[in-house]
Amino acid sequence: MSERLHRLIAIVRADFLIRLRRPSTIVVFLLLSAVPYLWIPKPSTGRALMQIGGQRVLYNSAAIGMATAMLGTIFIGLAAFYVVSNALRRDVLSRCGYVIASTTMRGSEYIIGKFAGNVVFLSVFMGGFMLTSMAMVLVRGEAPLEPLVFIGQYLMLVPPAIVFVSAAAILFESTPLLRSKAGDVFYFFFWIMVMTTVTVTMEKGGGGNWAPYFDVSGMGVLLRQMKDYYNTNSLSIGSSSFDAAKGTLDFGGLRLTGYWLSTRLVATLWPMVMLLGARVFFHRFDPARVRATPNEKARRSWLGRINFMAKPIARLIVHAGNTLVSASGRASLLRSAMTDALTTIAAFPLTAVAMIGLAIAALSMDAKSLLTGLMPLALAFCAIAIADIASREKRAGTTALVFATPSLRTNFVLWKFTSTLIVALAFLAIPLARAIALQPSSALPLLVGILFTTAAATTLGIISSNPKTFIVAFLTFWYITTQDKGLSPKLDFAGWFGTATPLVIATYAALALVMLLGAGVFHGWELRRRW
Amino acid sequence: MVIKHHPWMGGPSDAPAKTFPEGNAYTPRMLRIESVSKRFRSGNYGARDISFSVKGGVLGLLGPNGAGKTTLMQMIATVTKPTAGKIFFRDIDILANPDELRRRLGYLPQDFGVYDNLTAHEFLSYFAALKGVRGKAKIGEMLEMVNLHHVASRAVGGFSGGMKQRLGIAQALINDPDLVIVDEPTAGLDPEERVRFRNVLSDLGEGRLVILSTHIVSDVESIATEIAIMKEGSLVALSTPENLMRAAEGTVWEAVLPSEQFDQVRKTMNISGAVRKSDGVHARIVSNEQPVPQAVHAEPTLEDAFLFTMKGGVGGAQRAERVA
Repeated sequence: MSERLHRLIAIVRADFLIRLRRPSTIVVFLLLSAVPYLWIPKPSTGRALMQIGGQRVLYNSAAIGMATAMLGTIFIGLAAFYVVSNALRRDVLSRCGYVIASTTMRGSEYIIGKFAGNVVFLSVFMGGFMLTSMAMVLVRGEAPLEPLVFIGQYLMLVPPAIVFVSAAAILFESTPLLRSKAGDVFYFFFWIMVMTTVTVTMEKGGGGNWAPYFDVSGMGVLLRQMKDYYNTNSLSIGSSSFDAAKGTLDFGGLRLTGYWLSTRLVATLWPMVMLLGARVFFHRFDPARVRATPNEKARRSWLGRINFMAKPIARLIVHAGNTLVSASGRASLLRSAMTDALTTIAAFPLTAVAMIGLAIAALSMDAKSLLTGLMPLALAFCAIAIADIASREKRAGTTALVFATPSLRTNFVLWKFTSTLIVALAFLAIPLARAIALQPSSALPLLVGILFTTAAATTLGIISSNPKTFIVAFLTFWYITTQDKGLSPKLDFAGWFGTATPLVIATYAALALVMLLGAGVFHGWELRRRW
Repeated sequence: MVIKHHPWMGGPSDAPAKTFPEGNAYTPRMLRIESVSKRFRSGNYGARDISFSVKGGVLGLLGPNGAGKTTLMQMIATVTKPTAGKIFFRDIDILANPDELRRRLGYLPQDFGVYDNLTAHEFLSYFAALKGVRGKAKIGEMLEMVNLHHVASRAVGGFSGGMKQRLGIAQALINDPDLVIVDEPTAGLDPEERVRFRNVLSDLGEGRLVILSTHIVSDVESIATEIAIMKEGSLVALSTPENLMRAAEGTVWEAVLPSEQFDQVRKTMNISGAVRKSDGVHARIVSNEQPVPQAVHAEPTLEDAFLFTMKGGVGGAQRAERVA
């Protein structure tokens, strides 16, 4: 075996083991594996997983395989990026990168190794998901399990997404402007743009020649094959009610003809072009280009500059907050939470600017524009601002310092939740007040929406030790909710579209409490295990 | 301050032979650094016009925080490139041919972290593969050398700071390097671990060059064969410990001072050590002139010599005011 191959295998193996042994990997895997069980309803309930041209699709290996593969692809595209986009950062932070830079390894070898590590990890992860999804054929199936048919659907849909995400993660981590929180947010919209552009083009019958080759999400393949082989544009995947009178359809699965094989192969290969960009920008851990700790270099980025300019405004808010904290007397959890909240604003002064901008916008809007336009946007900004509050200590290595403070060790979850809630309320105060004044009935769902969001930020931050988990989970949910525009009352978690029923509101409030209890249990386990 | 050819420096200087007699005249050496500077984009210098050369043994790189030790080591380790100057390893220009050094290099960076979820064996296997080292025997041998063989299958996330540093030195040595660079390896270690680590480094000096940076003089005084002192990005001295101490002769004083007088002396003099005892504070003062009437001459230690050099050295003549 050549030295280069030996090194490549070592990188892939190390990355795989590091990720596999993370508790968050197991949590995400279990959660994802549970989704098909909830997602695939019993036909006897009047709801079905899949309908083609209005006909319910029989639950065979092809149907369940294709549907779960599609679910897996969506997960890969949206969430997996955040799971794997720490391969370079890990080496920067641990300073193992300096050692790597002092070896004879070429930059391209490292980039390929890290990319291959991402591909292998995501492939194994999806393989595990596929196996647990196969069980759904045994649980809910209306035909015997055909493993090869099942696997075929995954091979048709998933590989391009895995390669795309693996390469994009390396490119984003290597590129100065993209290896930041802003890059994380940008990726979300980048993926949505790539997916929708190709899918919509293929759905409309355009881009006949080029679009399928760029269809990394597989959505376009799905829609094009429905049209070609079932002569319909009507495809529904996900639990929905069906008309039993229309009968059932025995779906044979996506077809792998020579044409489709070539399109899927090209869609799998072209994302690797991003690795060339990654190689160009790769810093090879040169301390003059990348630093293990935030420093003056951060101020030289465009986001850093804007943050720097926003400091005077943030200082005013922090000063006012500090006065309030000082006036509140002796030390208490609330006072500690307020201090933590002020730290968030001081550390990310853009928050203060956004607060003021949203307040000005809110004062000039009518109720409808405010509720359906500004409030969703404000909550999305707010989510990005509060994402790292719960994981800040772990990432900065100051957990021991915080745990030495009276009561914060045991009340860590409550402290972080309160701090997150304070920032969110401060962030949304004016738009919220204005919305309630214009439409008093929106008060409860809006507050529950904020409660749900902050509880999710706290819980996911504590469990995953990473702000990205919450950012991707929330933005995905936010995107689905805003696209739904209140058609499904269950999704109207913050009452923006006025369709949330009291049961829906109560459910989201209960979910928030359950999440916080879960975070409490996890924190207790962590304390016993590590502290 | 730029001291290109300070009397204590070795290397390819125009007039190195007229300095200290022992071993500073230019002979082919393992590492040669010529007018190396590192200027960051901010305009600040990490290192400025540094020249020296060294053969084998342990080179202690001393200097306060921010002196440029890490930047210099990173340049030697080929992690970052100098903005000016040249670095030669066995007369090979390593800026042009970095791999020539990288094959023979072991590097332990400052604040070296580990991958918490890997075991010690897996961690070392990983770095062995990156360095092109094959075979499990070598990994076992290194784990045994740093006394971690009994915890080889434990996740390194649960290791103490000392154990992690030992694992760090194991990865640095796994390719049997000729040049070992260790940056502040004793930071954060307890005294016992610090002594053990020092001994490991001392043994390494046999037959190779070990460059060890620290801001703690006691870390290098017993093991360094040569000491380089850095200040504000520049090299201010390079010589053997004996020569450095010899240069400070006549400038080190001992005095027993009442507490109040000590507080006053401390403000104006260079104190290299002080111990509070029942009869007063036993202080060591570095000064060209007798600092207080009761002061008597003392044999310089390396700590004294370091302070003497940092405050201006032989020619610097920083004359402290005499305190009555």
